Amino acid sequence: MSIFASPLPVLPDVGALRGKVRDLVAEQCPDNPAARRANCWAVGDAAFSRAAGAAGLIGMIWPTRYGGQGRAPLERYVVLEELLAAGAPVGAHWIADRQTGPLLLRHGSEEQKLRLLPAMARGELFACIGMSEPGAGSDLASVRTRAARTADGWRLNGQKLWTSGAHRAQVMIALVRTDPESSRNAGLSQLLVTMDTPGITVRPVIDLTGTHDFNEVFFDDVLLPHDALIGAEGDGWKQVTAELSLERSGPERYLSSFALLIEVLRWAGATPEPAVAALIGRAVADLATLRRMSWAVAAKLAGGEDPALEAAMVKDLGNSFEQALPPAVQALIAVDAGGELARVLGHLLMVSPSFSLRGGTREILRGIIARGLGLR
Amino acid sequence: MSEMRAMVAETAARLFGALGGDFAADMAAVEAAGLGDLLVSADAGGFGGDWGDAAAVLRLAGAAAVALPIGELMLARRLACDAGIDTRGLLTIAAVAEGVLADGGFSGALRDVPWGGDCVAVLAVVDGRLLRLAVSDAVVTRGANMAGEPRDALVFDGAAVAAGAAPALFEFGALLRVLQVAGALEAALKLSVDYVNGREQFGRKLAAFQAVQQLLSQFAVEVAAVEAAAAVACEAADAGDAGFAIAVAKIRANLAIGVGTAAAHQVHGAIGFTQEYGLHLLTRRLWSWRGEFGHDAFWSVRLGNAVAAAGGDAFWPQLVARSDAHNRRMA
Repeated sequence: MSIFASPLPVLPDVGALRGKVRDLVAEQCPDNPAARRANCWAVGDAAFSRAAGAAGLIGMIWPTRYGGQGRAPLERYVVLEELLAAGAPVGAHWIADRQTGPLLLRHGSEEQKLRLLPAMARGELFACIGMSEPGAGSDLASVRTRAARTADGWRLNGQKLWTSGAHRAQVMIALVRTDPESSRNAGLSQLLVTMDTPGITVRPVIDLTGTHDFNEVFFDDVLLPHDALIGAEGDGWKQVTAELSLERSGPERYLSSFALLIEVLRWAGATPEPAVAALIGRAVADLATLRRMSWAVAAKLAGGEDPALEAAMVKDLGNSFEQALPPAVQALIAVDAGGELARVLGHLLMVSPSFSLRGGTREILRGIIARGLGLR
Repeated sequence: MSEMRAMVAETAARLFGALGGDFAADMAAVEAAGLGDLLVSADAGGFGGDWGDAAAVLRLAGAAAVALPIGELMLARRLACDAGIDTRGLLTIAAVAEGVLADGGFSGALRDVPWGGDCVAVLAVVDGRLLRLAVSDAVVTRGANMAGEPRDALVFDGAAVAAGAAPALFEFGALLRVLQVAGALEAALKLSVDYVNGREQFGRKLAAFQAVQQLLSQFAVEVAAVEAAAAVACEAADAGDAGFAIAVAKIRANLAIGVGTAAAHQVHGAIGFTQEYGLHLLTRRLWSWRGEFGHDAFWSVRLGNAVAAAGGDAFWPQLVARSDAHNRRMA
């Protein structure tokens, strides 16, 4: 039976946890405009991240000796969905909490964990992911950035592109080629790069909305210590692909346009005309279903499984829903220019094309699903 | 899956594989297997199953394109039992009733009643009351849906009724269709995957073409969505709070039917359009079921109105409270 048709495991009572998150966001982000609540995991706010860290909401499933709370993975899911539904500016610490922390826990040395994880959990140490390059977008195995062994560690040369948050992150986990003779996904490793190391240049890439999220990052004879290596040399590909289910099935894959739905509800009032009611009903049906699907994958991940196929399904369907909603609203509602609804609608019309690009393009995901179906 | 549910599913699978095509004999076999009383409580002499058990049976029925009112019977027995009405005999349900209840008698019409002319009695909701109407009191006009499943018109003129408190007959009827849709879509997807893995064109298997892969991937995602929405709806139905979840599930199932049937026919090419090949047994049912017990606009408007009435600020807290409450009940 498909995991989506199966019952979910039972959670402890999470009412208090939800209340804690809602209170924190209400206190830290009063009057947060809808356009900033939308896609809020791309909105960085160091002060909010420090507050979230102080409240124990970052790295909450990590062991306490590394600054975590030792909470259950599904409790973390509750916190994430509450943060996203409230539109909290979680972008600064999102990558550290979702990816870098878990990566270090799995593959990092004890010294790396003790040095980095507590600061990440406090919401003070931010991370970025150096994967894409000018010649390696969806085709990550084409990575050309090179790290060569030296007497003291590694010499790094090359360039990363589309690196979100590189301008505010203190560390990067970079996927680099450590075996110059290798090709494709062999000979890749993950290196921990401290961003203030000499030889690193970060340049902004401004997106079509005028926002600075992306960067290009240049490495020019950057010298890194031996212990910059994370996990095993040559295992980079394996380590990276093991993270993908975590990245693809979370609540950020269906709650990025949530602020728009809420603004439509506020605009529509208690008795909308039938066409508007139908739009709302359709969106709610999609959202509620995606939420269950995302939870089903989270439950499997929490149980130690890797439902890569199902995670790809959640991301693909979530992206489609979030891209369909803004044009559907625009097609039906004549919004007042300059109003809250107009601003969030305009923002999402512009940024939503990126949803089916980031974290694996729609075409790549459907290829993964096709493999799962036995078509390739 | 619980042991009991696995047993029920095994019984149903065996039964559906052995049906002969004679309505009376096949329904007798359904009754002999205990499926008619699946949702009736054990105290009342039934099987005491829940909606998860019903789902296991109806998904298989949908996948096997079983042309019998098994879901209708299950639901009618459950509703009749809960309302203290006679549960005996082959019962079916009417989605909508037009007419009046006066002096204890019903005058009016029930349209598109599944297997109406083949059953002993039909349950319908009139003026907030659940009625049991004997088919022998009706003028029956035979009809059928696109798949050839009987959908009969029953006209009554002052027919005597047994009445009880009205449950959400229409909503549960929609849930029956959602569960059948889930099974039929799963079967149509499997048929499509097998077909493109076997058929060669341009010197390659159809499955090797990216355009075909992308189409069937979209289909598979829609099937997953229906499975998830159906699971939530069954949990909610068992908890007695099914209005929201059934609306969600019927909307989602109807959307998936559009994507799934189009993809299935596209990858099959002309063979899928023939009487001889089995795809139409699934797709004609899916197209019929999409319109039964509420089309897209009906459910979308109803759900949208309910959410709007509660207001934007209440939406998220209410959404998560539903699943949290389910959790607490299970704990």
